[in-house]
Amino acid sequence: MGAQAVEAGLDPADALAAMTDAIRVIGEGFRVGDLFLPDLVGGADALTAATPIIEEEIQRIGAKTETMGVVVIGTVYGDIHTIGKTMVATLLQAEGFTVHDIGINVTADEFVAGVRKHKPDILAMSALMTMTAPEQRKVVESLQAEGLRDSVKIMVGGGAITQEFADSIGADGYNPTAPGAAKLARTLMGR
Amino acid sequence: MTLKGYTRNFPPLEILTEEQIEEIHSGTLRVLWTTGVRMEHKGALETLERNGCKVDYEEMRVRFPPGLVEESLRRCPSAFSVKTRDPSKSLMIGGNRLYVLPFPGQRTIDLETWEPRVPTRKDFYDGVKVLDALSSVHGLWSYTPYFAFEGVPPAMGLLESLAGKIRNSGKFYTEGYSKGSEQFSIRMAQAVDAELCVPCLLSPPLTYYGDAIEAALHGAEAGFPVRISEGAVYGGTAPATLAGALVSACANLIAPVVLLQVHRPGTRIFINDFTFPQNMKTGAPGFGNIALSLHAAAFNQIWRRYGVPTCNGAAIPASKRMDFQGGYERAISTTLFALSGANFILLHGGVAAELTHHPLQAILDDDIAGMVGRFLEGISVNEETLALDLIEEVGPVPGHFLSSPHTRKWWRDEQYLPQSADKLTYPEWLSSGKRGCLDYAQDRLDDILANHTPPPLTAGQESEIESILEEARKFYSGQGLITEDEMAVYRQGMKSPRYPYE
Repeated sequence: MGAQAVEAGLDPADALAAMTDAIRVIGEGFRVGDLFLPDLVGGADALTAATPIIEEEIQRIGAKTETMGVVVIGTVYGDIHTIGKTMVATLLQAEGFTVHDIGINVTADEFVAGVRKHKPDILAMSALMTMTAPEQRKVVESLQAEGLRDSVKIMVGGGAITQEFADSIGADGYNPTAPGAAKLARTLMGR
Repeated sequence: MTLKGYTRNFPPLEILTEEQIEEIHSGTLRVLWTTGVRMEHKGALETLERNGCKVDYEEMRVRFPPGLVEESLRRCPSAFSVKTRDPSKSLMIGGNRLYVLPFPGQRTIDLETWEPRVPTRKDFYDGVKVLDALSSVHGLWSYTPYFAFEGVPPAMGLLESLAGKIRNSGKFYTEGYSKGSEQFSIRMAQAVDAELCVPCLLSPPLTYYGDAIEAALHGAEAGFPVRISEGAVYGGTAPATLAGALVSACANLIAPVVLLQVHRPGTRIFINDFTFPQNMKTGAPGFGNIALSLHAAAFNQIWRRYGVPTCNGAAIPASKRMDFQGGYERAISTTLFALSGANFILLHGGVAAELTHHPLQAILDDDIAGMVGRFLEGISVNEETLALDLIEEVGPVPGHFLSSPHTRKWWRDEQYLPQSADKLTYPEWLSSGKRGCLDYAQDRLDDILANHTPPPLTAGQESEIESILEEARKFYSGQGLITEDEMAVYRQGMKSPRYPYE
């Protein structure tokens, strides 16, 4: 889809905006119950495949784009649950964020490396299991140790997480649902 | 002596034709040989390669030749016994025997607000006590009644959970593993002369992480039974079609069967069908969905042909309260699992899927298990039960059977008497204060907590359990998995005069 847009000579910034609009429509359809996870994930896959090609073209011609902010997202070490994290990543894209999904089973060091590399406005972490929730604390502590904690807002979620836990590790935000997490990200960006 | 459980005295419900089973089996063999399974355990890869598997060490992928798969399945005992701390509660797993076990919750639930809360140590030990008291609970599943309790560092959660089960029940134990905890769990079971069923948990699709394989090998090397468990959701981590999900489940689960049977032939294994249709709205496993029962029925049929006992892992609803949805979802699942030949069903106490457990729900579930168990026993047909002479003796109206010794002898065996259901006449119900099943279950709960005494440990056993726990505390502290703050809170909890029970 990205290559087709470039080949067709579309303005890459317009193409990116159109894709974000499409994800927003899918996200809204999901929110109201007309669309389901296969639709959401299918849309996210299309966007993920097309974005690098479009972005390369944007850089080549020096066009300007707008983003709501940059997010690095992943599921913590010891935890391989991907669906909730993918839902949040997709809905963040629908909100206009640039999202770098660094996957599942992500160690504290890998989160720190992700923050260094992508310089995100927000770091989002998921943990579904009680046993893996403490990894979120470890990531926060690692960011503090590396002097990066103040450079990024941290939001946490997943089945094992509560507001109380989020507060205890010094997270900036928590929401128990994927649509709620996407709105939370906007709030953290002051929008 | 063996715990009787429930015996199915008629043929199981079979929903697949022979041709369909053969297609699923052929598909499974193809997946195991052409796609293979990722096993992140070098020793396991080497063992499998020595026994004829094709191994790609870079991808940690094993491909299993069909002949080895079928030979390994033949090596699995189709029925076997498991030793328990209380010898009268030992199990004979397999065949037409059904055992019903509890389902865990991450937390307990507040019965006024229906909101979850972290259980205390007392909640945990009382929860085990209730499960010990209920005759339809035939053993204690991993993480039951709760995943953990207040004040315990996460690294010690599973071991404290097993210690609680050992201290407050003599029934069958199986417990999870994390960061090598199975080595301590195995020793705790050995300390009370019981066998522990060690799990091997799949990370679908087609992947076993090193700790899963390590735990299974540790269990088998201790001479204990192993349960292999799938946690796939069809549409997410398995194909959305039930046939595809069955192929996927069988391939996933056979891989460690082969490993265990070449590593230690004759290892006792049972297979847990903990799979769900994907809830396409929330991403959660589709607890209570009828597709789950369809999958389980077919799964039981296929593994019966393989001669390996099965567990159907979740007769638990998605409902957040003890309500109508909770009742019908768990009753339908339990009935279909039982009719289709499950050897284990996980039922008691689960509320809101895996989120919460409550002993009051376990007591309500005691009646579901009892009713389904009674149905499985079927109808006894012989000269005495046919009662032809009695029918002749009583004759037409005004004859009746109420006063006959035959009635007094048989009626209790023929019916099942629920203990929490409202069976009053309407006037009786009014005069009872309009009480319902939750009220009766609460009466039973109060009675059990006041009067039930689990079989105690000897002083030597208690000392050994505490000593293994202490060794584990030091081990995980040394590994940096328990912080000083966590340990301080943990140790404070041990100062209670009622420790370890409160």
